[in-house]
Amino acid sequence: MKRDLNHPPLPEKSTLWRSMSELEKTPGFEDLLLREFPRGADVYQDSGLNKRDFMKLMGASMALAGVGGMTGCRRPEAYLVPFTKGSEWTIPGKFLYYSSALPIREGAIPLVVSTVDGRPTKIEGNPLHPSSNGATDAFAQASILDLYDPHRSKQITKSGAPATFEDFSAYLAELVAGKPGNLAFLVERKNSPTRDLLRQTLETSYPGMIWSEYEPLGNEEERAALNASFGEGVRLVPKFERADVILALDSDFLSPSDRGVGYASGFYPRRNPDQKGAPMNRLYVVENHFTTTGGMSDHRLRCKASEIGEAVRRIAERVSNAVPGGSLAALAGASPKSQAAFDNQWLDVCADDLIAHAGRCIVTVGSQQPAWVQSLVFGINEALGNLGSTILAANTGERPAASISELASAINDGKVGTLFIFGGNPVYNAPADLGFADLLAKVPDVIRLGIFEDETSKLSKWQVPAAHYLESWGDVRTFDGTYSSVQPMILPLWNGISELEILALLAGRPKPDGPELVRETFAQLTGASFLPKATEPAAPSAIPITSALPVFSSEAASQSWNDFLRTGFLPESAFPLAKPSFDASGVASLIQASVPSTSGLELVFLQSSSVDDGRYANNSWLLETPDFETKVTWDNVALLSPATAEKLGVSPNNFSWIYKVAEKMGNDIDFDIVADVLELSVGGKSIRAAVLVAPGHADDSISIALGYGRTGVSALMENVGFNAYPLRDSSSLRFRTGVDAKVTAEKYPLARTQEAKSMYGRDLVREGTLARYEKEPKFPQTMGMDGHIPPNLSLYSNPTLTSPEQWGMTVDLNTCIGCNACVVACQAENNVPVVGKDQVRKNRDMAWIRIDRYFAGDPANPEMLAQAIMCQHCENAPCETVCPVNATVHSEDGLNLMAYNRCIGTRYCANNCPWKVRRFNYFDYNQRPIEKLYWGPLAKKGMADSLKLSKNPNVTVRMRGVMEKCTFCIQRIEEAKIGRLVEAGPRNKNEFPISEFKVACQQACPSDSIVFGDIKNPNHRVSRLRASERGYTMFKYVNANPRVTYLARIKNPNPLMPGADLVGMANGVPHDSHADHGSSETHDAHTATGNDHGAENPSAIKPGAEKPAHH
Amino acid sequence: MANLFPKWTNDLPWKVAVIGGTIVVLLAAGITYYFTPKYTRVGYQPTQPVPFSHVIHVQELGMDCRYCHSFVEVASHSNVPSTQTCMSCHTQIKAQSPKLEAVRAAWNNGAADGPPVNWVRIHRVPDYTYFNHAVHVNRGVSCFSCHGAINEMQVVYQHEPQSMSWCLDCHRAPENFLRPPEEIYNMNWKAANVDEQKKIGQQFKEEWDVNPPVTCGGCHR
Repeated sequence: MKRDLNHPPLPEKSTLWRSMSELEKTPGFEDLLLREFPRGADVYQDSGLNKRDFMKLMGASMALAGVGGMTGCRRPEAYLVPFTKGSEWTIPGKFLYYSSALPIREGAIPLVVSTVDGRPTKIEGNPLHPSSNGATDAFAQASILDLYDPHRSKQITKSGAPATFEDFSAYLAELVAGKPGNLAFLVERKNSPTRDLLRQTLETSYPGMIWSEYEPLGNEEERAALNASFGEGVRLVPKFERADVILALDSDFLSPSDRGVGYASGFYPRRNPDQKGAPMNRLYVVENHFTTTGGMSDHRLRCKASEIGEAVRRIAERVSNAVPGGSLAALAGASPKSQAAFDNQWLDVCADDLIAHAGRCIVTVGSQQPAWVQSLVFGINEALGNLGSTILAANTGERPAASISELASAINDGKVGTLFIFGGNPVYNAPADLGFADLLAKVPDVIRLGIFEDETSKLSKWQVPAAHYLESWGDVRTFDGTYSSVQPMILPLWNGISELEILALLAGRPKPDGPELVRETFAQLTGASFLPKATEPAAPSAIPITSALPVFSSEAASQSWNDFLRTGFLPESAFPLAKPSFDASGVASLIQASVPSTSGLELVFLQSSSVDDGRYANNSWLLETPDFETKVTWDNVALLSPATAEKLGVSPNNFSWIYKVAEKMGNDIDFDIVADVLELSVGGKSIRAAVLVAPGHADDSISIALGYGRTGVSALMENVGFNAYPLRDSSSLRFRTGVDAKVTAEKYPLARTQEAKSMYGRDLVREGTLARYEKEPKFPQTMGMDGHIPPNLSLYSNPTLTSPEQWGMTVDLNTCIGCNACVVACQAENNVPVVGKDQVRKNRDMAWIRIDRYFAGDPANPEMLAQAIMCQHCENAPCETVCPVNATVHSEDGLNLMAYNRCIGTRYCANNCPWKVRRFNYFDYNQRPIEKLYWGPLAKKGMADSLKLSKNPNVTVRMRGVMEKCTFCIQRIEEAKIGRLVEAGPRNKNEFPISEFKVACQQACPSDSIVFGDIKNPNHRVSRLRASERGYTMFKYVNANPRVTYLARIKNPNPLMPGADLVGMANGVPHDSHADHGSSETHDAHTATGNDHGAENPSAIKPGAEKPAHH
Repeated sequence: MANLFPKWTNDLPWKVAVIGGTIVVLLAAGITYYFTPKYTRVGYQPTQPVPFSHVIHVQELGMDCRYCHSFVEVASHSNVPSTQTCMSCHTQIKAQSPKLEAVRAAWNNGAADGPPVNWVRIHRVPDYTYFNHAVHVNRGVSCFSCHGAINEMQVVYQHEPQSMSWCLDCHRAPENFLRPPEEIYNMNWKAANVDEQKKIGQQFKEEWDVNPPVTCGGCHR
């Protein structure tokens, strides 16, 4: 039986086609190959080879290849390549976790990064961190793909020609020696103490140095208002957990991507109607377009972004009348008035509610609204006594930086000879009036440190590849001030250099090759002393949090340093909080300075939920993630209200959601959206953008997300969206008034993942008001048909659910804001491929978890509801009964399993799934470039090596022709189960509990809406939530028995508010409880009597064809 | 009417049936035998870059499996030792042996920056199958059960087919293979007889609540 086969010589480099290489090495064939192809047909004749000889030779070569190796017949040879030297803490095949942080504009998102065999594969929130609830946002999840992006800048270039690091450091050494006085820096906003210290050092050695910061979505206006009202360096820290009433004005404070996940985490516990000891909070929102915060609101007022100031002024007047004394009356009186038409009653009732909750409410305004609006809001909070109770102040001690406008005027004055641009992309995103591309031409030496070779790099003398934050040492303060570490997980893949390293070189220090810079800062902050440099051991590697091994000698200082790296933060390093002292006198100058003109159309510049300000424009995960409101992928669109669209003459196809149009078109809507293209012009410049009618948008207002329409880095970002930056001036960072818009003849196809805007009467999302919930807590369970379901008459028997653990999930619709963090987390965890715009238009997107978004109520001013939908793991799964090959079956612990290697791709299961959560691999998305899917075998096969590193090794990478879907992160379940068994060893496993773990979507969720666990364990949170009175399952009448329970959304409307009776009525106006109905009663007997079967809401969208929400 | 078919064709149907049937049976039997892991994999014994002998190290010197395969108890993967592990002895013993040329090249006099040793992989489950060593060796399954008498192999070869049905043989009836925890790494241990094995196997299965997964999700993710 045993065959002694000789080990063939090792291939010089590993090749996929082992037998081909054998073939090529056969002498006869090699000879033929050499003569046949390079020299062409002439030689073929000259050589005297005729066709017959050729065939003979080929045959002989083939035979030789076969006899010689025989390897072609067997599986390919594989190698086990161990380390030459064991690497500390590394266990092959086991995850190692490091703490780190993603620096963002106003803080950081604390992270735990999973690495396997030395490569980071997954990013999660750091639950130990005090300013984090252990969650992340979508950007943090996707940032790992940027690390492995094969389009990253890989080579230092000088004037376009390749240069070495030695060349670059020689250039820096020249600067160090020459100490030029015309040095300037343009950096991204980042609260890094080490960078601040280096900046200080440089400022002393380079007198006259300009240090400027620019963020396209920065908070200069807020900063100016804070400086005037509270003094330099003060930051307001709202305590949402203390607020009963919150008014958000053009403020998306629930979005975690500006100030981190911890900023608004206090909001969610107070949103829970079942909480003990405190009333449910109430949220008022005034905004021009739907934000995630607007979707959560109890009352929402549509208002042009340029008229937010007027709304604030009217509220301020009412508040100052009710709370006499103080400075607010004077401030409100001095504020510019406008004749804007408002729902004054709305503002009055809202103001009255704030006054009634004085000291227990928060008024917050978007950080890009003009400074005088910000100050007026501070004044309102002061008058209401919120300062010191719900809003506290922290002194950040930050030193001010120059703005980009100040830098621009210095360049114009010829004061800048050498300009360092770290990150950012000012040529693309600087305010258009600065003409940044022309400015760069005036600077002799521009040195650009960038992840990509982008628009700015092309105009710079030096382009230096930047190290990703997962490749470099650093530090950062989170929004609350907690000092946090940024650790490298891997050596720079393409020799990237970090900004700290360049600053250190400029300071005349050697290039740091470890954390020395950060450790110095740490020592300064803690007052700890380290061993002098000479006696130190070699630069330590990053410290994993799972390890308890100290790196240094037994010094207390090094212990605290190790703890800092291990946990990711320095305990008790947050800014001390104090009562803010409002100084109204400083505000006066701000108010005088600005007079709003709000007539005509306005254009509002939004943060993109997919590419932020454009920095993620080459990130395919994010590009394919649908916008939370419009569900548009791969593009941004100009959003406008139905009335404005009609006024501008936008064609009705863009209105598909409006029932009137639906009726007119006989319910036969073309769901394949081909949008009109709008030309927007102002101040002599114009842009084009596809238009989409957005429910709930303010009239005479157009919103467009920034960050799209980039070119030049990769094929991925070509023809993706529209660039709105050309219309954005330094005086109009948030909105621009007096915009001219006209519809062009051009059409533009859009790819949307969800066309249906209504539930068609099926009560997929359920909501009610707090009053109804208190009166009739079980109302969500009797909505729709659920009150009329006959007893279980299933023909199928349940699968045998014999395991002691039974997995289940709950999704709380009351806190789900639809932010997409779970969507991207799932993509990263489960190796979900990207399919491209063309395939999304064919409904072939692969997301395992999607967020359905519904509008309810008045089409012009509806409510927005989000619902995360993944595989429901039905106990009577409809998909399982139709699979002809048993590829999808049930496990004993209640999982609906998918065996990829059994699947033959009939797609019956997807047809039979009521939730439409099954995804089919129409193409080999992992092997072929998405723009060449239809080329078949003609396209280049294989994925970039760097992208292979990003894959989760514990999840199969699926191939063409198989079905896939959410697995409830079975790899994590199995790991937990195996962990328990390993711990138990030769003992009864039941004495050992399964350790706590979270599935990927749950881990990422910033609002803690997703809970997963063992539903048989009565102490687990998931079983308590499943038993909640708000809990319901979708399509209950199908009797599939899903394992995912949704908790109905509860709204807390103010009964005095106009239209309050329509709040919380997404499922129609309630009628008497269903509880007293006999189940024998038929559903049909009811419909005539007017009940809450979804369609009776007079303003709800009428039920059309029973189209599913998706596909 | 003249006979359209000659007489011998009367026998044709059953002849065709018998011959055809035989061919089908032979084909099926051939594929079952020759195309399955039992034939294609068992006995695979490639030449390794270093002629490492388990007989010398385990049988004669009495080294424990876990000296080299050090993470087998904690990780899914049973690691091949790093060059450092080899050199912890071989800097002293057989330091100049020509057989260890590849190991010394990788070690490069302690710099450990040479080309790593490319051991040819013998045991391999498909990419969509996730086997975990730790859970097996901690719960009474010996190395011997899947790898055979490695201690007697001068050159390692594959001893078991490691096909899905072979896995399920044990997952469905673990009592036939479970052994005392202290004998997991003892390659020479053997129950006195089949009944004895069944008896102690059954005892362990009940005491430890051994209940191996037989659904797809146990191994396929």
